[in-house]
Parts: sequence; C-alpha cells; structure tokens
Amino acid sequence: MSGKGVGASIRRKEDDRLLRGRGRFIGDMRFTGQVEVAFVRSPVAHGRIRSVTAPEEFRDHVFAMEDMTGCDGILAKCGIPGFKISKQFPLAKDKVRFAGEPVAMVYAATRAEAEDIAATVSLDIEELPANYDMREAMKPGAPLVHDEWPDNAFLEGLVDKNFDAMEEAAIKVSRTVSTSRQCMAPIEGKGCIGVWDRQLEQLHLWTATQMPHIVRNGLADTLGMDQRQIRVVAPDVGGGFGWKGMLQPEEVCVSWLAMHLDRPVKYLEDRREHLVAASNCREHHYELTAYATEDGRLLGLDAVAHVDSGAYSVYPFSACLEAAQVGSILPGPYDFGAYRCKTYAVCTNKAPILPYRGVARTGVCFAMELMIDAVARAAGLDPMEVRRINLVKPEQMPFRNITGKDFDMGDYPESLRRAAEMIGHDRIRERQKSAEADGRKVGLGYSTYCEQGAHGTSVYHGWGIPMVPGFEQSQVRLTPDGTLEVRVGNQSHGQSLETTLAQVANEVLGVDPEKVNVIHGDTAMSPYSTGTWGSRSAVMVGGAVAASCEKLAERVKHIGAHLLQTSPDHVRIGEGEVRSETGAVTLKEIAATWYLAPQHLPGDVNPDGLELTAGYRPKVDTGTFSYATHAALVAVDTDTGFVEILDYVVVEDGGVLINPMVVDGQIYGGTAQGIGTALYEEMPFDKNGQPLASTLADYILPGAGEVPAVRVGHMETPSPNTRFGQKGIGEGGAIAPPAAIANAINDALKESGVEMTVSPITPHRLLSAIMAAETEAAR
Amino acid sequence: MTLVNLTVNGAPVSCEVEPRTHLADFLREQQLLTGTHIGCEHGICGACTVLIDGVPARSCITFPATLEGAEITTIEGIDADPVAVKLREAFSREHALQCGYCTPGMMMMARDIVMRLPGADAATIRKELAGNLCRCTGYVGIVKAIEATCAEAAANDPVTLAPLVSPARPLAVTLADEAGPASTARLEPITFEEAENGATRINQAFTVAFPRARVWAFFEDPRKVVAAMPGAHLTALSDDHFEGEMRIRLGPMGARFAGEGEIANDAATHTGTITGRGTDQGSATRASGRVVYTLSEPAPGTTRVSVAVEYMLVGALAQVSRGGIARDLAARLTRAFAENLDAALAGRTPAEGAGELSAGALLLSAVKDWLSRLFRRG
Amino acid sequence: MKAGRFDLLLAKDVGEAVKALQTEDAKAASGFQSLGPMLNLRLAQPRLIVNLTRIPELSAVEETADMVVYGAAVTHAAIEDGRVPDAAGGALARVASGIAYRAVRNRGTIGGSLAHADPAADWPTALTALGAKVRVAGPRGVRRAPVAGFVRGAFAPALGEGEVIVAVEVPKASAAARFGYVKFCRKVGEFAEAMAAAFHDPDTGVTRLAVGATEAPPQLLEGDFADLDARLATLDLGADPVRQRLHRTAARRAMAEATTGIAA
Repeated sequence: MSGKGVGASIRRKEDDRLLRGRGRFIGDMRFTGQVEVAFVRSPVAHGRIRSVTAPEEFRDHVFAMEDMTGCDGILAKCGIPGFKISKQFPLAKDKVRFAGEPVAMVYAATRAEAEDIAATVSLDIEELPANYDMREAMKPGAPLVHDEWPDNAFLEGLVDKNFDAMEEAAIKVSRTVSTSRQCMAPIEGKGCIGVWDRQLEQLHLWTATQMPHIVRNGLADTLGMDQRQIRVVAPDVGGGFGWKGMLQPEEVCVSWLAMHLDRPVKYLEDRREHLVAASNCREHHYELTAYATEDGRLLGLDAVAHVDSGAYSVYPFSACLEAAQVGSILPGPYDFGAYRCKTYAVCTNKAPILPYRGVARTGVCFAMELMIDAVARAAGLDPMEVRRINLVKPEQMPFRNITGKDFDMGDYPESLRRAAEMIGHDRIRERQKSAEADGRKVGLGYSTYCEQGAHGTSVYHGWGIPMVPGFEQSQVRLTPDGTLEVRVGNQSHGQSLETTLAQVANEVLGVDPEKVNVIHGDTAMSPYSTGTWGSRSAVMVGGAVAASCEKLAERVKHIGAHLLQTSPDHVRIGEGEVRSETGAVTLKEIAATWYLAPQHLPGDVNPDGLELTAGYRPKVDTGTFSYATHAALVAVDTDTGFVEILDYVVVEDGGVLINPMVVDGQIYGGTAQGIGTALYEEMPFDKNGQPLASTLADYILPGAGEVPAVRVGHMETPSPNTRFGQKGIGEGGAIAPPAAIANAINDALKESGVEMTVSPITPHRLLSAIMAAETEAAR
Repeated sequence: MTLVNLTVNGAPVSCEVEPRTHLADFLREQQLLTGTHIGCEHGICGACTVLIDGVPARSCITFPATLEGAEITTIEGIDADPVAVKLREAFSREHALQCGYCTPGMMMMARDIVMRLPGADAATIRKELAGNLCRCTGYVGIVKAIEATCAEAAANDPVTLAPLVSPARPLAVTLADEAGPASTARLEPITFEEAENGATRINQAFTVAFPRARVWAFFEDPRKVVAAMPGAHLTALSDDHFEGEMRIRLGPMGARFAGEGEIANDAATHTGTITGRGTDQGSATRASGRVVYTLSEPAPGTTRVSVAVEYMLVGALAQVSRGGIARDLAARLTRAFAENLDAALAGRTPAEGAGELSAGALLLSAVKDWLSRLFRRG
Repeated sequence: MKAGRFDLLLAKDVGEAVKALQTEDAKAASGFQSLGPMLNLRLAQPRLIVNLTRIPELSAVEETADMVVYGAAVTHAAIEDGRVPDAAGGALARVASGIAYRAVRNRGTIGGSLAHADPAADWPTALTALGAKVRVAGPRGVRRAPVAGFVRGAFAPALGEGEVIVAVEVPKASAAARFGYVKFCRKVGEFAEAMAAAFHDPDTGVTRLAVGATEAPPQLLEGDFADLDARLATLDLGADPVRQRLHRTAARRAMAEATTGIAA
C-alpha cells in the first residue's frame, strides 16, 4: 500500500492552516449587519424571579423569557422508570436554579456595548436556600430545586448482582471517595452566530458544537420549527471535551433573536462565563466496601454513589447518563462475584452536568482503583500484585463481566506488567528503602481501567434519551479530476478526523490523503450523525467511510476494468489506480470518463455514478473495550504538600491504530486533563452555591510546567468487531491519572498512614492530611 | 476615541480606537487579523500572544490607545519568518497541535524561546511556556517541537535586547521623610468563623478610653455610627430603618453598594444589631450583612466594644477563591471603624488630605479600600 | 468580558499625572498587566486612566555608589535580562524571572507591581528583604518611603490622593551578601501560596527576612535569627495551621539559602 493508510503516522492535513492562524473559528466569522449578544446571568444559585427590568432607553435591546414568543424550554427526558423531568428554559423563567444561569439577553453593535447595557438591567430575585452539597440535597427538608418534585433526585438506581451470596470475607475495607466539580475548559469557549437566510427561508446557526445534527433536532423542537428550516454548521472548533456536546440554551436564544431581528446575531462565551456558569462535571461521591480473601482476591464490592447532576437535564444526554453509567461500570476491568451499587443522580443548584471526557469512568476508576490499593494495604501485598490477580485474564476473552459488559479482546494483566516494567517497578521499590537526598518521599501508583467506547444502539436505546446512535453513514464522491470528497455527519474539534478519515479512504481506494477532502460538521452537507462523543468516531465514522469507499471502489473498478478491457474480477484498486495484470488506469481517468466522456462507459455501468452514501455499524454494537494501565512515580514534599510527578507511563491497547501519532496525541492530552483532575482543577462553592473561581488564576489548568513528558507503550489487540480492528480511545487518557497519582501519593506516605481519597489532591488538602496524621502519631 | 498610529505586520496603520478596546479585539475586529485568538481576556491563557516591538505580550490586556508608535506583529506577520517556518515544520512533525486554537499564541511564544534561548533544554522550555495553556496536546509534542527547533538553533547567538538607555534621570526626592502617627484604640486579635448560614463572621474587640455611657450614646446615633464606617453614608433615616450607600475600594476595584437596613439597640444590655443589604449594580453583586455589637466596661472610664460582623456576598465579587483577601479587607474595615470611633469620641476629626501618611487619611482610604477589597478580587 | 468605558490620559510628565490623579475615579497604569484583567472583568471601572509609560523619568535607571534607582516603569523583563544594573548581585534578576510569564514580564513594571500591592506578588516581599525604598511623587513633591510597610493590606498601597510611585531605590549589596528566595506556586507563574525572601550580608551583619503571600501585608524580621522558629512565631501567618506551616517552611528555606548559600 501507499504507506499513508491505516497504521501510518502521517502528518495532519489540518495543521497548515492552524499553524498559520488561518483557521476559521466561530469568533473569526462576521456577517454584514451583525449584532452581538451578552447575557445577564443569575448572581444567585437559587431564587424566585420577581422582575427583570431595563431602563426605558434600552428596553428594545433586552429580552427575558417572556419576550421569546414561540420558544419552549429544552427537554431532555430519560426513559428509565423513576426519572424526574426538568424543563430548562433558555432564559430562566420564574426561578433561577444555578449561579450563572442566563436570565436576560442583551444585544448591541458590539459585545462591549451589549455588556454596558447588561450592566443596567436590574434583576429582582427573591433568594432561596441553595443546594450546594448533593448529599445534603437528598436529606428530607432540603430546598427543592424543582418545586413540583417530591425530592431532589433525578433518578435512583440499584444494581445488585449476587450480593446476597456475599459471605464474610477475611478482608473487608471501607472508604469514602470523592471527586470535585470541574470545568472542561476548552481554550475556545462556546459561541454561535444565527443568520436568517431569506432565500432558503432557513435559519443558519454557525456554532462551536460537537454534534450539529443533534443541535438541529433540539433547536427544531424548542423553537417549534421544521428541521428543513434549520441548518447547523460547525466551523473549526477549538476543543470540546464534552462541553460542546449539547444543545446550548445560548444557541436557542441566538437563533430566536436572529429570526426576531432578521439580522445576524453573534454570541461568544467568555472565560468568566465558562468558569462560573459551566462548572458542570466530575462531581461524584462514593461510600465503598470491598471484600477480599486474605491473599487479596476480590470477592465483592458494595457501593453507594452520588452524582451531582446539577439543576437541569441537558439535551441530549440527560441528567441520568452519568449516574446510570456509574452503576454499570464501577467493577472496571476486574473479575469478582458479588456486586451491589446504589446510585443517585442528584439535582442541585449548580450548573447542569454534562459528560466530560471519560464521563463517569474517571470517578469510577478513582473509586475502584483506590479500593484495590486499600485491599492491598489490608492484605500486606504490593498493589501491583493485587491488581494482577484480579484483572480479567486474556484466556477469559471475550468476557462478560458482572454487570453484563462484553469485553471484546485484550490482555489486561500484560498492560500492567509492561507498565510496571517501563516505570521500573523493582528499581523504585528498592529506591524507597532509603531516604531521598532532598527529604521528599517517593511513591509509585497504578491504575488500570477499560474504556467502553463507540457504544451503539443496543446500549443507548435502553436509556430512552433524545439521542440513540444507529448506523453511521458517510458519503463519498469522486470528483471529475479524480480527487475525493468524503462527507461525514460528525465533527472534528481537534481529533484530526480530516486526516484519519482520509487515511481510511486511502486504505480502501488508494487516493492520496492530500487529495481527499473530509467535509464535516454541517447538516446541509453531510449525512445524519449523532456527532463526536463517546470515543466513537474512529470506530463508527471510520467504519462508515470504509463502507462507502468500498462501494465506490466496486463502481470504480467496474469502469476501470472496462477501460482496461478486462472484467472487474481481474482488477484491483490501489495507489490511485485500477490495475489489471497488463495495465493500469488512474482514478482521474476513470472519473473523467464518467463525468466528461460518458460515451466510453461500459454499457452496464451503475447509473448512480461516482457518488454514494453507505452506512455502517459494528457486528457487535455494545462498544469496543480499549484499556490501559497508567503508572505514576511521584515525590511528595511533606513540609508543603506539593507533589511532583517524576515519571508517568501509559501502556494502552487501542486495537489497530489508524494513525498512531494521533492516538498518542489523544493519550497525552487526555492524561494532562487527568492530571488536572488529580492535582489542580476544582470549582469550589460556598454554602450559597456561589462558584468561587471566576478566572484562570483561581481555576488552575495544568501548564507545560505541571504536566510531565508522559511515556506511552502500545499493545495492539484488534477488536474482532470493528472494520479494521480499531477501538475507541479518545477519552482514555483522562480516566486513570487521578487514581494512579492518588495511589502513588498514598504509597509515598504509607508509613505515616496518610491516605488521600478526594480529588484534586491540592497541597492544602495533602498537607492538612499529613498534619492530621502527625497529630495522630504524636498521641 | 483616540487616534493611534501603529505598524501592524510591517504596514502603517492609523485609526481611531476607543481607549477600552484591547489589542486583540482591535486586531481581530478592526484589522481583520483573526489569527490572534482570545482564550480568557485576563492575561492567563496566552492564546492572544502577539509581539509588541518585537517581544511577546498579551494582546487581551494591552490597549492600543496606549501604544502610539508601536510595532505589532501577529501570527499572520510571521508567515515567512524563517524561525516560524522551522517551527511549523516541527509542530506538524511532533503533532504539537490538535484543535489549533492555542496554536498562534503558542507559535509566537515558541519563536521567542527559540530566538532568546537557542539550545534550551526541555525543562527550560516547559518553564518558559508556562504562560501558554493548551488543553488538547498535554504539551508533549509542543515541547518536543520547540526543543528540536532550539537544538537546530543552538549554534546561533541568542537574540538579546539592548541594555536600557535612560532617557532621563529618575525623579529626585524633594520631601523629608515622615512617619505616621500611631493609632490609639487597642485592638484585640481578630477571629474568623463560618456562620450557620454560610456567611463569614469576623469577631473583633477593641477597647477605647471612654466611659460606656458615652460610647453607647455614640452607638445610639445612627448618623455617627455610619460616619465611622469607612465609605458609608446615609441617604434616608427614619426610626430604625435607614437607606444608604457604601463605597468600597480595593486597589483599582471599586464597588458602590446601595441598600437599606435596620438598627435595633437594646440600651439595657448595651447591645445592638445593624442588618443591611445592598447591591452593587456595576458588578451585579449583592451583599448582605449583620453587625452585632456589645459594650462592656472592664474598668471605669474604659469601654470594650465587641463586634461581630457577618457578611455574605453573591455575584461577581463573591465568585473568587482568594477569600483571604476579602477577610483582610473586612478586618481592615473593622479596624478602621474602631479607630474612627476612637477618634470621633476624642473629638478628633480625621483630617482628609493632611498628608498621605496621616492615620486619618489612611483610615479614609482604608475604609473605602476595605469594602472594595472585600468584594474585590476576580 | 470587555472593559467598561474609560478616558485615557497619556501623561507626558509627572506633574500632569499627579494633577489628573487627583480627580475622581482616576487610576494610574503603566503596563496594565494587573489592571488589564480587572478592567476586562469590570471589577475596576475607573473614569480616567492615567498612563505613565510616556514619562521619561519613569523609564530611567541611575546607579550611584550605594544604590541603583529604577524608574517605576522599568519592566520585569529588563531586570530579568540584566538590561539594567542589578543592585543585589543577580537577586533582582532572579525575582523578576519568576514573575508570571515572559509575555507579562515584557510589559509589567516594578512600580506598577508595588502600587498594585497584591500580597502574593513578588516585588513587595523581595524588595522588603532587600531594604528597598520607593520614591513617590505627589501634589507636594517627591517623598521617599521604605518598601517595608508600603503595602498596608491587600491591594492597599500607602499612596495618597494624586500620588504615584516614580522610582524604586535598591541599596547595593556587598559581594559577600546572599539572597534566599522561596515561593510555592501551584502552577508555574501563578500566585504564590507562600513566599519568603531572606537577605544576609556577612560584611555588614545585616539580615532580613520578609514573609509574603499571607493574608496580611508582607512582614519583615530583622536582626538576630539565632532562634529562627521563635522569630517566626511572632509573625501573623493567618488562622489556618496548614497555611502557617507552608509559610514557615518557605521562611526557613529562604533563610537557609541566604545564610548557607544552599538553595532549598
């Protein structure tokens, strides 16, 4: 083959424009006559709106929900019995339910002027007590976020697998584990521009989204329009990580205003808005008990998990997704016989939860992996050894775990073994026997997880949420000059899909990736798709592009064979040519024949021509299972609580890698975000539900000085279910670091009895624990 | 509007700008140079980094109206620059970008590192790069790309900026040194606690050398009490209800809380409570608070005033995590109140403008400052 | 967010600046690196900003036998790069190189940092340890004040109406003098959680320890440090025992570096 197809680390097609500042992000776009919007957001977390008033001179520029005629609330139901419904009006109506919730929309010629006007808008809000703590919110008498509900639970769940059979165990350890609330914080915030196209009688919404088709579905529902009247386009998008995987209330507002004013309307989220109004992920709380034999063999796990789902159910994923996932994936990559997990998706006066890279897995992995180390401590064994004996074995594959997850293929213990080898397990254990020259304590921690990605219909239909992924489609068109256009309905916001999907096309058709245009993120230009989320693009869209290219290949070969005066059975396609034993004809010549010299086509040519749409779904659509072991070596300064990551190793199995360079990039980036979760990122709230970090000086994103040079080792067990054996891997990096780093810190401090179970492990939290342990020891 | 003459990417530009328009907006909206991206608008993320007179700067917190005569270079302006060409090659090779949003700022900074620190190692590069955030790549490819480009440039002389040539001499001192007078009120240590409703409570006691009856009389006159509160003044007063305004300054930040409240005094126990609530329209911040004071007479002619101040903020000024600063402000406000009270009882009037180091002026500024400080910091 | 409207005065001399700063809601600025974010967040909404960078005296540096005088508008980067003389044998360059980020240091100024009076900033603490003084111009003339005590509280410099810092005097350290500087930041370039600067000159016997980044203004200890812990016990390190330990650790390490020359 050309060396540019599946498996090749070719350079990215996206790079040149982005490196030269020639990308086109939403903020870079402007339309004649455009106005800009600023939102007036609720300063309080919970309150009843008495009035929204603007000075007379600006009244025409200020809109509250009651002004938005014809616009309904956003509804994201979940079909699981017991789910309570919340409707989110794009501008708060009657009540505000989280600090930062949009209450009024203001427009002016520039954002600065819109903000000037916004500052004159008076909100008269009767403050109500706020639910700032999800467990408090579940207690009787807690203030109700939604007055019509009997309590503050979106959904309660119970998974019970053989727990009755659980007998007394030699080791029984209990821990309370929690992860703090975070912001996803892509460097580009969200933003959109609404334009009414008079000729097409269509609303065009240009928006920084991961899922243009889903946004269109939701917009049509909310605005009461036909979908044919709406086109949604995502331009270059500056990172998403889940934050742009939703129908945004601001998108609804801007769309409405663009039609109301009949002029282009632009809104860009700024950083303060993002931090205050969008701290919306990761907040989990677990009470866990693990049962094990005295030699560290896991027997069972009992858990109560709370997920802070925020004030509303977000379209399309709903408020149930994360908590429901917790119950089903908490057992992780381990094989044990008894399991019980009670889950609560709790409604609070905080921003509505969205699935952030890794979704529930980051919290789940943190909980489970800390328990593995806790068992190891109780058993007096090396945590690495306890992991090894409890991981699902390769000979058990394909394996159905205790919650019915079908692990496709892989050697989990081998990833652990290799990670231990790469980081130098034995050497580190030796090093720990003597004191460090600088007085710090070093520790080694592991975390192993599996990442179910590219979940399909059979997984999603059970949730009954507004979006169920089905077949993924791709359209391909060979142009008259023999270059290729590929149209897909998902969206690339950094994942390199313009490159990797071109590589898939190259793999099948042999067209040079440089001659392939991948067109994505536009409802008018592409097949339907649920978009880019859930580590699904390589599997689903990669599979769809392969399917459409294969069908195109048949048509191309048919014409090519005719031109070569042979039969299609005697030709093959590759490197931009159709070849027979005696000759070759280029795709360019074949395309020219179809478009420009149809007189030379074979008589039985397929009249549908050189463009087509084809669909794909894996043989087993419950998802691929990539997995990895992360190993962290840390040094802890016990006088300051500061932690340095000395070395960090990832050994992962993503099956067949379409572009290994790109996969490494996903792992590095995900791991950096996981390090943020582990040590830095946290949105604190006060008891009034006020978020307390409104700048990047308060909310710390790790920089180049905080993230180490992560080392990656690859394993490659092809998935038996996908087109090339590829597995979803986009989120994995962000899953394991909090657990690996916490375990490493706890390993470093094990003599002192310090055990950290809350993320992020800030210097203050850690030093506080160290001092408590010192006080205890002195007693 | 201010007329400003600049050079942008080598071409002269002369135009009117609003003083408040920052350089990133000026470049993007007026010069249509959209390669400079905006990521935070408070100088942290580095996405908006451009060169001003050849050195990297944050365009989001720089105002072109102050840049008369400056040379501005954006990502578009280094398109043909030899170092940038090498960096582009290295960034692509090392997969140093994913979504590409931070990339222009990253390139501007990378170029500066390569030119200023040729041969720099990875550790140096990571430190130099600390002000440019990337959320996609984990920095691995970026550091490798810059390291490789630095290594290629290792034989080059670092680009150094010329020693500063003084355009004049520093201003000489013309006044004699002064020392400020010491305060007379005796303050006890301040303690902080969290009240049941989530408010912060500050407890402060101080002793003044006046009989309790006289001090109590002071507390019974709302006008006097308010006059001792830095930055506060009454606009209406009827029985136990008042309306008023409180201005606070914290460095450059200021807030003006307009609101109302009630005063309840119990002469029998020498205790009183002031409750109030107000809104600063400018920052959309609401404040509410309660002051409880108790007077005792530990020795004849001496009054100990014990004050518990509870305050609660919601909105922009509350949404900051350096709570210690708010506490410092609250503590200073309480202290200022104590000293003002002392001064008022002694018949001293803090002399405004009588020398910046005088206690009175400091108190006045502190009063203004403390409220603003309380609410400041974002 | 975008800044609210303000008027701008590009002051040509100190007299013009001082006069303008006596009007209501006027605020001085040179590099905008601290003020800019607050303007954009609309936490600061001055009516008038008096820009000082055009005043030639503020960009001047003068070296005398016993001190170096830095104009207030000298940038951190100029000090970092050694483009101006370093009064303290490299200590100033070291402090400058750790302030925020290079792109900020290129525009941020030493005078602006002091006038901003952020308790977690580098200069107020470092210059306190180095025995520096500020020159402040006001309606009556130019006065001198020690940096120690200049920061009265968080964001509260000891500046009166119309006053502006015009220069910083840093006494020259002897060749034998040593400087210790320790700060703990959660992220490179971000606000310090704890900070201490120590200065020890064996020739003159002068030893100073400044502790910053507490909830209070930078605090100075001088004289005999034989019982360092006892001296540290006299400081107001806030109510939180965890932060107290962090501050004490910073102080001990800075002191160790200044007295033994070994960086902690």
